[in-house]
Amino acid sequence: MTESTAAAHSDAPPAPGVRLKTAVARYGTAVGGILVFAVFALAADNFLTVGNQFTILRQVSFLVVFSLGFTFALTAAELDLSFAAVASLAGVVCGGLVHHDYPWPLGALAALAIGGAFGLANGLFVTRAKIPSLIATLATASIATGCAFAITEGVAWVGRWDRSFLWLGRGEMGGVPVLVVWMALAALIAVFVMRQTRFGVWLTATGQADEAARLAGIPIRAMKVWGLTLSGLCAGLGAVLLTASLSSAGPTSASDFLMKGIAAVLLGMTMFEPGRANVPGTVVGALVIGVLANGLVLVGAAYYVQDIVLGLIILLSVALSASVLTKAAFTV
Amino acid sequence: MTPATDTSGTAGTPILSLEGIGKTYGAVRALSGVSFDVRAGETLAICGDNGAGKSTLIRIVSGAQTPSEGTIRLAGAPVTFASPADALSQGVATIYQDLALAPTMTIAQNVFLGSELTTRVMGVPLLAKRRMRREAAEHLSRLRLAVPDMNRHVSDLSGGQRQAVAIARALRWQARIVIMDEPTAALGVRETRLVLNLIKEIASQGITVILISHNMADVIEVAERAVILKGGRKVRDTALAGWTADDLSHVIMGHEAA
Ligand SMILES: Nc1ncnc2c1ncn2[C@@H]1O[C@H](COP(=O)(O)OP(=O)(O)O)[C@@H](O)[C@H]1O
Ligand SMILES: [Mg+2]
Repeated sequence: MTESTAAAHSDAPPAPGVRLKTAVARYGTAVGGILVFAVFALAADNFLTVGNQFTILRQVSFLVVFSLGFTFALTAAELDLSFAAVASLAGVVCGGLVHHDYPWPLGALAALAIGGAFGLANGLFVTRAKIPSLIATLATASIATGCAFAITEGVAWVGRWDRSFLWLGRGEMGGVPVLVVWMALAALIAVFVMRQTRFGVWLTATGQADEAARLAGIPIRAMKVWGLTLSGLCAGLGAVLLTASLSSAGPTSASDFLMKGIAAVLLGMTMFEPGRANVPGTVVGALVIGVLANGLVLVGAAYYVQDIVLGLIILLSVALSASVLTKAAFTV
Repeated sequence: MTPATDTSGTAGTPILSLEGIGKTYGAVRALSGVSFDVRAGETLAICGDNGAGKSTLIRIVSGAQTPSEGTIRLAGAPVTFASPADALSQGVATIYQDLALAPTMTIAQNVFLGSELTTRVMGVPLLAKRRMRREAAEHLSRLRLAVPDMNRHVSDLSGGQRQAVAIARALRWQARIVIMDEPTAALGVRETRLVLNLIKEIASQGITVILISHNMADVIEVAERAVILKGGRKVRDTALAGWTADDLSHVIMGHEAA
């Protein structure tokens, strides 16, 4: 910049105290996550084994895929509380097709189509029928769960399925579980889309300042529909991976991921770009949740401790990031 | 008491003409039969008491609303604006008080909001971030205002600097007309000074400015002409040379309605 006039007073670099505060705000939670990791490493004998680390990563991979979807929706300031139920339904349809010896790509496509269709429907309910996403997605979650029970008549598809299908969830590539590869690919694509494309900026602007975005000619309703549709697609993708990994699909197979996914994204909002859902934050958030879930089991904590911890994480994250957006998105 | 220099006939084609603009909101008539011309490069103030119809008029010229009756001409040709973004792309930029910026996004992102520059890498359009930062800095330097880092969030900036970002956004569109509705209303003395300087700066670069303001001193300082509204009608259209702020308030308060 050239010579300054009246605004010169704002030129000064931030004071060291401010910089420290910013660093704590950005990376504090990530450091906390490393501490949690260290505590479990010391407290549980078999926590640090390669086998257990891969177990954590496998669990985290589904969580990351689901949470990325929730991140897209929340970036557009909409909540998707249906992703877990939609994923269970998509898994049941995918598993059902594979179970009945249809080619597995058909099952995978069906899962993606169901996820995308539910996401699109959510988007249209929110933008056209003006139903707050909190309510709309709670309703579609119930519909998805009902459909999943109807299809399986309450039981789960379990089978010895086509190996090439199971490879999607259980295979390895150069010693690395394929699930980890899928997770990394999904996260990289998401970062790329959010950081390097106009779509990412528009989605962010829609969530951060919808009126300014609208005045700038950004189609904010379409962006909200996209955010929710991507969430549905991620639910479908996660469902395929989960089904292949479990080699089974039941009407509540993915329901565990609802609270974990929300917690991962909200925890992620306390990192990197505080107050804003962001892909790196979501990935680290999911890792922290995965480590916690695994470590708690290994140190012998009762099964209900995890639920309480997730609830506390959600409360603390939202209080910490204290952003207008978070609270706005949760306002009906 | 006031110099009576009403300007009707003007030379050359006006850059903007309003002809018989009217607007009703249901049973409420906010504007009726407002006509005036704006000459290229001038700074025109639109004055009037609360409820006179200033904001309504500006919403129509900026493309935020369509008039119930009347015609808008840009450089002689009749136009309709489908939206503020449409008006912007035709060179008419409106600086809104606060809603038009995204505070939690960067200066560069705000300058290019909705019209981000991209470069194709293997056929995929990617954000041209460095170019946007450079051009945003260039537009801001045209305003002779130091804003250090194009990656700073707009929420970190002062009120006056935010106006500068909004103006830089207009410059990015090569706006010929910049409309500002009460740009100093929420600002302190120092920031008001900064914004008045910004207005003079863009006016000196040949940009036409339409200013809505309650502050008569501001109007007298920067505007060459004033259109005065009352009850949704134009009651006066006058050059301001030789006027004082008091003269202007008297006319607006109706002591000397036309
Ligand atoms: N959206 C609206 N709906 C109904 N009446 C309106 C609306 N906007 C403005 N008006 C009315 O139009 C008149 C002019 O308002 P406005 O243009 O805001 O005046 P000003 O900006 O000069 O104070 C007022 O009587 C106001 O009540
Ligand atoms: Mg007004």
